[in-house]
This record gives sequence, structure tokens and C-alpha cells, in this order.
Amino acid sequence: MHLVRDVLDKKLMDREDCPMGRVGGLVMHVGESGPPRVTHILVGGPTLWMRIHPALGRLSSALGQMWGPRRKEPAKIPWSRVETVGREVKLDVEGKDTGALDWEIWVARHIIEHIPGGGSEEEE
Amino acid sequence: MKKILQLSLGIITSVGGFLEIGSVTTAAQAGAQFGYKLLWAILLGTLCLIFLIEMSGRLAAVSKHTIVDAIRERFGFPFFFFVLLGTVLVAFMVLVAELGGIGFALQILTGIRFPWWALPVSFVVWLLMWKGTFSLIENGASLLGLVTVSFVVAALRLNPDWTSAASGLLPTLPDDDKSKYWFLAVSILGASISPYLTFFYSSGAIEDKWDRTYLPINRVIAAFGMTFGGLLSMAVLIVAALALRPKGIQVETFQQAALMMTTALPKWGFYLFALSMLFACFGAALEISLAISYFFSQGFGWNWSEDVEPSSDARFAFVYTLIIGFAAVPLMFGVDPIKITMMSMALTSATLPLAIVPFLFLMNDPIYLGKHRNGWISNTVVGVVILISFVLAVVSIPLEIMGG
Amino acid sequence: MKRLLFATVILLVSCKPPTPAEQMDAILSWVGSAIVLGNGWLRHTTPDTYTRQTLTLSHDQLRQIGAELLKSPPATIDSTELDGALTRSGTHLARMAQLVEARNSPGFNQVLDSLELDQKALKQLSDKIESSQ
Repeated sequence: MHLVRDVLDKKLMDREDCPMGRVGGLVMHVGESGPPRVTHILVGGPTLWMRIHPALGRLSSALGQMWGPRRKEPAKIPWSRVETVGREVKLDVEGKDTGALDWEIWVARHIIEHIPGGGSEEEE
Repeated sequence: MKKILQLSLGIITSVGGFLEIGSVTTAAQAGAQFGYKLLWAILLGTLCLIFLIEMSGRLAAVSKHTIVDAIRERFGFPFFFFVLLGTVLVAFMVLVAELGGIGFALQILTGIRFPWWALPVSFVVWLLMWKGTFSLIENGASLLGLVTVSFVVAALRLNPDWTSAASGLLPTLPDDDKSKYWFLAVSILGASISPYLTFFYSSGAIEDKWDRTYLPINRVIAAFGMTFGGLLSMAVLIVAALALRPKGIQVETFQQAALMMTTALPKWGFYLFALSMLFACFGAALEISLAISYFFSQGFGWNWSEDVEPSSDARFAFVYTLIIGFAAVPLMFGVDPIKITMMSMALTSATLPLAIVPFLFLMNDPIYLGKHRNGWISNTVVGVVILISFVLAVVSIPLEIMGG
Repeated sequence: MKRLLFATVILLVSCKPPTPAEQMDAILSWVGSAIVLGNGWLRHTTPDTYTRQTLTLSHDQLRQIGAELLKSPPATIDSTELDGALTRSGTHLARMAQLVEARNSPGFNQVLDSLELDQKALKQLSDKIESSQ
């Protein structure tokens, strides 16, 4: 598997086929013996901005702790939860439990649902 | 049966959704100043757009990816962000121009100046996005946009010399004002080849769940729909050439543009012009708002669909709410939509390579298209036209400054 | 960076000062627009509000461009003649807007005829400027 070609930036789908964002980054473990292994998938703003410039990553992280869901770290999904890698990366997780949808839920609850006709995120 | 219905709707969509303030302003200015001499720019732009639209539909139907999905996955986030920045900034300017076009149409109908219309118009556009479905937006706005066929009627009524008009399909330089001529050519190309149309079309194909069986329909929609649309633009140019040029009228303002229809169709021309601009710009504003939201949502992997409640795709809904709100601001302060239109059309031409070159790479990638990759004709037509647009933009803009 | 450059360049385009010939073309464009509009109003094909507002706009544009042109008029024409033609046209445009408001078609028709004569005079001046360039 080509990690960059086949995994990085691919869409993530949870066990109910709901989109969870995209693979922003990968965490690899480099042990003393054996090849490096992918241990986690990273989802979230700071990881993405870091790929353009580390300063942008730090800025994104700082802003993310001032408002919104105020995550201290990007969402980290264990590689062991990956079911298949094809057109999308299918995961054996509930999207909402991973933290990958924190921003979506926050925007829905704090902004969209306050506008008439916005609906209710919990009705899903 | 469903495919035939889709085909008819698709063509109607293309026809009704083609004209907007950019294509009308640039074609009207071109006709008023240079007669038929810039018809070739509309022809070239339309030809390129036919290929681009067909490619957008093909990519979606075969790979089940929208263009933006594919750009992000194939080229990575940093490159995607670079494309997003350039494309969205220009698309935003076009959105301001379209909202301004709606405001202007209401101004000439009611007498109330366009800055006062900025907020109400933005609200209505937003409301349709908030409550409407993709089908309602796509089909409703485009069916109303069919009133723009009145430009064709006007052109026929003015009885043009078709031989002279046909000669305009080949580039011929004017005797003077060459720098303005090339600047208008660039603007016409930018008005015709709008990248947001390709993003919108590929997203629509995914929303409508197209597969390979839709490839023939896709070709027909692209060819016939865009051709009819291009003919509408040509009709505007011809009407301006016959109604305004002999009287020395330049199209510097929206109010002057209306005069081309009052000459061609005395009884109803004024109202047909106002309604044409109203519905055409409305449809375009909806398409651009959707296209920008699609760009963010698809690129970042958010939930996106016009067919669900806003809370189910909260960030997608938030993006279009923000951009429509921001787009009203310059208009409220009286910034001239015609000037924004001309700037944004020229900028579109200059930034076309940014949006289209990655797209061309994708269309030749076997991972996405398999045996349905581009042939040499598609690659050549699109590549050449984009190169021409870019070179013209780079050369003509400084020439316009230096006075030719 | 390139996009910033293009944007700056385009802004400069809109700030480029027009030549006297271009200024006369713009003036003739507004006078021509007012004449087409006037004829349309007399035939009841354009609404009152739009007609009045566009005539007022034509008047304002004429005054603005005319004032710029008269600051440094071309040597090939008589600046007094130019000033006179511009003043007469401006007066006629303002009068036409008032007559639309009053719905006075016969009066409007008379002033429109005068404006058409103004147009001929301005066209002659414009031709002199163009031939000298």
C-alpha cells in the first residue's frame, strides 16, 4: 500500500457510512526492529495546516483552543480500526465518538440550530 | 424515461443557467464598441466550456469523485489549499457581481437604488439555499432563466447581416483601441469559462448519483446545453452591435445596457431585459454559492448535500451563510457591480490555469478514469484555450494600462 | 503573489486617465443614451422612474466628464465652443428629467429635438479631436 497515494487525504467513512472528514495525517511508530508501522490516523485542522507550514499548524492549534470545541489535540483514530482502504477509508468506529466530528457538531449546535429551519443535529 | 427527463432538464439547465451578469456585460460592451469583431472569443470560450463540462460529468460518473474530491486526494492538502484560495477568491467576486446584478435589475424596475437591495436579495438567495433542495434550485432557477431567450428574439428582430456576423467568428483586429479589444477578449473568455460551473456540474452529477450509463447523456447535455448558452451570449453581442454601436452608446452602466432591448423590442424590451438579468443573476448567485460551499466541504471531507437539513451538513451550510452575508457588504456600500464584474472576469481568465491544469491531469489519470481517460482532442482543445486565455490576460492587462 | 500582481494591475486599469478623444466618446455615449431613452419614453416603452433616473445619471456623468475635459482641452478645438455645447446639453438633460416627472410629453419632445442638435455639435468637435490624434 502506498500510504500517500492510497490513504493520505482520502475520505473517512464510519461504520454507518457517514463521512468523518479526511485523513489529515498519519502517525507512525519507528521501533528498534522491524519496519515503521502506521499506528494512528489524524483528522483535524492543525495537522493539515502543519503540512503547509509549522507556524500555521501552531496558529490553528492556538485558535482551536480559544473557541469551538476546544480540542487540545487533533482527533486520533487507531489504525487497527481501519476496515478497508479503497475509494474511501472505511473505519469500524462511530464517527461522533472519535472526535473527528467535534467541529461539525459544535457548528450545528451553536450556530445552525439557532437559525429557524436549521433542524436538529440530534434528530439523525 | 428517467434519463430522457434528465436530458431535457439538463439542457434546460444549461440554457437557462448560462447567461449571467458577466457574460451579458462583456458581450454587450464588446458589441457596442467593436461590433461583431469579438464573436470569436465567445465561440472559443463556449467550445472550451463544452469540453470542460463533459469532462466534469465524466469524472463524476466514472470515478464517483467530484473534481474537488479528486484534486484533494490526488495532489494533497497544500496544493488543494492553494487552488482553493485562488479559485474561491475570484468566485466570491463573481458572487458579489451577481448579487449586484439582481440589485440593478430591481433598481431599474422599481427606482430604488441597488445598495438598498443588497440585504434583501442576499437574504432571499440564502433562504433558497437554506430551505431548498438541489433539484429545486437547479431546475427552478434555470427554468426561470429561459426568459433570456428574449435576447435571441431581439437579435432576430434587428435583422443582422449574417455574413458580417459570421466574419466575426474569426479574430480580426479593430483599427483602434486594440488594448481595450484584447482586454474585452480576455474578459469574455473569463465570463464563458467559469471554473465554478465545472465544480457545480460535477457535484450535481454526484448528487444525482450518475454512473457510466449517464456518459452519453452527459455528452449531449454538455454539447447542446453549452452551445445554446453560447448562442445566447452571441445574441447579446449582436443586439448591442446593432442597437447601441450605431448610436455611439458604450455600455458603462447597467442602465445603458437596458437600452439595447428597448431598441430591439420596443414594447416589452425593457421588462424582458430586467427580468432576464434578475433571473439569470439569481440562478448564477445560487450556483456560485453552492460551488464555493462544495469546494470547502468536498475538499475538507465535510458532509455536503443540498437535499438534507442544514444541521445535517452544518459546516457546508455555515460556509454558504457566511459568504452570501459577506457578499452583500460591498454592495451595501455602493461598490459598482459592473466594475467588479469586469475585474472578476479578467481575473478568472488569469487564474484559469490554477483550476483547470490539475483538472486536466486528473482527466488523464487511469486511477480515476480507467479507459474513459481524455483523448488527444479534449486535452488539446482545453490546453490550448487555457493557454490562450492566460497569455492574453498577462499581456492585455498591462497593455490596457500603457494605452496600447 | 501572481494574483496580487494581477489585481493591482487591474486596479490600475480602472485608474488610467482617459484621453480627450475617449472623454468625448464617453460624453457622446451619454448623450446618445439619453436620446434613445427619450424616444423610448415618448413611445411609452420605458417606465417614468427608470427614464428620469437615467437622464439624471446622464446629466451628472456629462458634467463630470465635461469638467475634466475642460481642465485641459485639446488645442485643436475652441474651448469656448466646447464649454457652450456641454452646458447646453447638460441643461437639456436636466430639463428632460424634470419633464418626465411632470409627464409633459410635448415639452419633452421639444427639448429632445434640441438635444439631438447638441449631439451633432458635440460630434463635430469629437471628430476634430480624433483627426488631430
